[in-house]
Amino acid sequence: MSNSLNVDIGTITADNVEQLKKINQACLLIAYAPSFYTDLVAKNSKDGTPLEVRQNLNKFAYWNGFAVGAICCKIEGIKDSPGRKRIYIMTLATLAPYRNRSIGSTLLSSILTYIQEHNTDAALKDVDEIMLHVQTSNEDAIRFYEKFGFEKGELVEGYYKRIDPPDCFVLSKKLR
Amino acid sequence: MSGKNDNPQSGQGRPLPKKEADLFKNVVKFYESKQYKKGLKNAETILKRFPNHGETLCMKGLIVHSLGNGDKKDDAALEKRQEAIDLVKKGLMMDMRSHVCWHVYGLLYRSTRDYPEAIKAYKQALRIDPENLQILRDLSLLQIQMRDLVGFRETRLKILTFRPNSKIHWLSYALGVHVCGDAEGAVRALDSYLDTLEEGSKEFERCFESSELALYKNRVLSEVTEEGDELAGVKKALVHLDEVKPVIVDRTGWLQAKLSYQLQLGMFDAAKETCHLLFERGCTEDHRIHGAYMCALLQCDRDTCLEVQKLKGTGTLASMRPLSDDERRTLIAAYERSNDETNNNLAASFPRSAAVKRIYLTLLAPDSEKFRLNIDSYCQKQISKGVPSLGSDLSSLYLMESNNRYVLANDPVDVKNHTVYKLLVELVDSYINSLGSKNTFPGDTTVCAPSTLLWAWYLRAVLHAHAAEYADGITLINKCIDHTPTGVDFYELKANLLEAGGDIQQAADVVDTGRDLDHQDRYINNQTTKTLLRAGREEDAKNRISMFARHEGNPEENLYDMQCTWFELELADSCRKKGQLGRSLRKYIDVIKHYEDYHEDQFDFHAYCVRKVTLRTYCEMLKFEDNIWGLPFYGHAAEEVIKIYLQIMDKPAQDDEEEPDYSKMTAAERKKAKNMARKKKKAQEKSETNGSAKKEEPAKGADNGNKKKVNKNHQVNQDPNGAELLALDPAEEAKKFAAILVRHAPQKISSWALQYDVSVRRGKMLMALQALYKMRNINSNSHELFARIVDFSERLMKSATAKDNASSEKVIATEFPKLMGNQSLADFIKSALNSIKADPLSSLPMRIAVSKAMMSSLPGKKEEALSLILDSKLACRGMDVESCREALEFVGSIEPGAKEQLKILVGARFPIVKDL
Repeated sequence: MSNSLNVDIGTITADNVEQLKKINQACLLIAYAPSFYTDLVAKNSKDGTPLEVRQNLNKFAYWNGFAVGAICCKIEGIKDSPGRKRIYIMTLATLAPYRNRSIGSTLLSSILTYIQEHNTDAALKDVDEIMLHVQTSNEDAIRFYEKFGFEKGELVEGYYKRIDPPDCFVLSKKLR
Repeated sequence: MSGKNDNPQSGQGRPLPKKEADLFKNVVKFYESKQYKKGLKNAETILKRFPNHGETLCMKGLIVHSLGNGDKKDDAALEKRQEAIDLVKKGLMMDMRSHVCWHVYGLLYRSTRDYPEAIKAYKQALRIDPENLQILRDLSLLQIQMRDLVGFRETRLKILTFRPNSKIHWLSYALGVHVCGDAEGAVRALDSYLDTLEEGSKEFERCFESSELALYKNRVLSEVTEEGDELAGVKKALVHLDEVKPVIVDRTGWLQAKLSYQLQLGMFDAAKETCHLLFERGCTEDHRIHGAYMCALLQCDRDTCLEVQKLKGTGTLASMRPLSDDERRTLIAAYERSNDETNNNLAASFPRSAAVKRIYLTLLAPDSEKFRLNIDSYCQKQISKGVPSLGSDLSSLYLMESNNRYVLANDPVDVKNHTVYKLLVELVDSYINSLGSKNTFPGDTTVCAPSTLLWAWYLRAVLHAHAAEYADGITLINKCIDHTPTGVDFYELKANLLEAGGDIQQAADVVDTGRDLDHQDRYINNQTTKTLLRAGREEDAKNRISMFARHEGNPEENLYDMQCTWFELELADSCRKKGQLGRSLRKYIDVIKHYEDYHEDQFDFHAYCVRKVTLRTYCEMLKFEDNIWGLPFYGHAAEEVIKIYLQIMDKPAQDDEEEPDYSKMTAAERKKAKNMARKKKKAQEKSETNGSAKKEEPAKGADNGNKKKVNKNHQVNQDPNGAELLALDPAEEAKKFAAILVRHAPQKISSWALQYDVSVRRGKMLMALQALYKMRNINSNSHELFARIVDFSERLMKSATAKDNASSEKVIATEFPKLMGNQSLADFIKSALNSIKADPLSSLPMRIAVSKAMMSSLPGKKEEALSLILDSKLACRGMDVESCREALEFVGSIEPGAKEQLKILVGARFPIVKDL
């Protein structure tokens, strides 16, 4: 896109995680608990993913020196396939004035590239897919992910408790 | 001690037997190689046979002292030091005619920084052994440290006479002659040294040392003057520069010296050439070279050239004084970018230099169309880039003429009326409009990045701050924060606006939020600490700064060791605001201690610099150290110390209002009565200010060791609440610091104001009068001066000058009325009143001062006094939250109703102000 912004990708650490909080608070309807942020950058996380891997799955987008967007993913087990795993996109947000400038794409691509280049690493060798939940009303987001090859899956009713509509789709993309 | 008679080894016939003599040599050797344990052992062996051998006792003392001379301040170390002192003293008593004993005695004094005593001891040692090089050398170090310049020169001459083939001794001697002010003699000494070298000596090769020596000699040469030719030395130095060129490694320094000489000699074309050479070497961002270049282009006289060379920061000739139209044209031609390919001016030769572009703006007349166009494109470029400092960069264009010199407008009233400011506001408002609606700059079609509008808002908020429109500034900065909540700069600016607008608590919270965004940003951490301290939240402040200080223990200790002066000053200010006088006094004195340490630090350089031949820098260092007491942070600490002691002096007077009427007494009676009052006051002060401290005081000198046992080891934990400081004689302390300030910071009006305050309290009316005259020379319109003239006059009327003698009374009787324009006090106040009425912009502090004077000396003028403040509508100069608070306090003290009225005015002017 011609008016896309050439952002830099940077790491989220315990020292700057407050900026992530600011971005999410400004962009997302859901307020995350403080533990969401502390777990993200903690030395040892509950799910056992090494900090180094988490730092590759959680990223800032910087424009002109300021963080203007961020993506956060985690690795989780797939319920019906013991031993298999997937990447779950928890949040992806860009500050309002910086939207429609390909910043989300850059962030998502950086994650996809990382996974592709490290799919034999211990942490990622069992990862089969990448998925997320999208509010049914959020057509822009659905279009955005479909551009990256995500497919619309099942409809989960009543997924959200405090926002309307409360339903969401599962979007996912096979990684191998 | 029964003296020499018991001591067979004392006096001149005292050689130790061979075995012990060898041991003694070992003691000295071990001491010099810092093998103290071995040295001690040998010394003790000697002392076993000759327990009263003076030199051995002294050497043992010296070794013991070195063992206890670590950083540790615990009891063991202190005991060691005491033991050392006892040993050396005993040794000296046993053998008063030994130079070794005296030398050691001097070393001991030196280590406790008692230099005058150390010099005495060294001189005594030299009387016994006049050719002892080691002692001479040590003496010379102390002499230069104490700035006994003539003594230093003489000592170095002696050393040179004994050892004429050492380079260091030659250089030191030349330096001694130079610092005594004899440039010509210093050049002769350096020449004599160079004559001693053989041809082809290494000293003539191109290397650092010969380069430094040549440039040092060159500088000394330039200082030589001849009768009828002030510039004789400069001429010679210019020729000399070319002679030494082959050995020079510091080419920039060489060129700078050349440039300075050429300018002083009026060789402007050559100077231009030199400037170009310097620019090509990469000095395009050095504003001093640009200043010189302008002088060369405009062929300025020598005084102007010298003045321009002394400018600091981004100052140049163009920001120093107004330019004529012709001058402007000449300079613009040099700095303007043109389409003419053949034009080889600065803008064409150095298209990437930021300084060249920025200086060009200063050259343009602010009301010209050209200025408008250029500042417009300059701002657009910087806003697109996102340069937070743009606002303060532009504020150096608020130049106002005063006595053919430029000063920067910094009062909001003047800023708002300034052509440049108005233009900037107009431009930035048009950017915001256009960016907000079309996301382009006005009249442009290129779509900007989202951050462009952000920085336009930011700049507008800074402009609001320049005009003291804090609430408007906050509205804009809030837009910035909503736009990009991750930008640390926005929180910082918002906090500054809140602080200036009078809401320090919220300011601290906001900057702390900004700090939380990036824990690795030391700058914002410091800003937060500072703001928290100003908000009186000491624990929070310490908690923040300790993230960057060493982690264990009290951060104050680490910050003291780091000589973190800004923190200590802020902490002291904070304590003072809370009324913790002792603690704040302690912190200010800690800062003063740092400056004493800085002064002490030069000791290491006296020998080192000569050895390394960095003589130019060494001379600059000596000058710097001489003026260290005039530096702003020292001044801040010293001024506050004086104010605290003045407060302590005044306090008992408030409790005890029955001042006897001195005016009805004879001089003798008056003196007696005053003395009595003073004694009473003193006794009261001591018991009042600190009962426990007083008890401790006698113990201080004699029993220092014991006292420290109670305290923890670190310096900051010794007397943390300043009890010892509060127990000192306040008049004496205040006098001491005021004397330092008027000597080293005589250009500051506050130095003389405090000198006045201290002097009148000590009854030294002549000194007070002198301070008033000094203040008048600095700024005859100062409200500080006005208030003190009134005070002086009132004091004269109340009582005569009891402590001064008759002749000084005479001087005062003839000289003081001149300060009041030979008017009566009432008329003097009235004429001040009239000049305020004539100028609606008269500053608020001046209004308060005149109003106060009317209340104290013009009975029945209360309404008029109040109207002086209320009628200003607070649209005058000198308006800030602090001066408003002062006005409120004063008005409230005379008329509570008027205070409410004023409060409304203040609230309208500063809508966010808290705690009025």
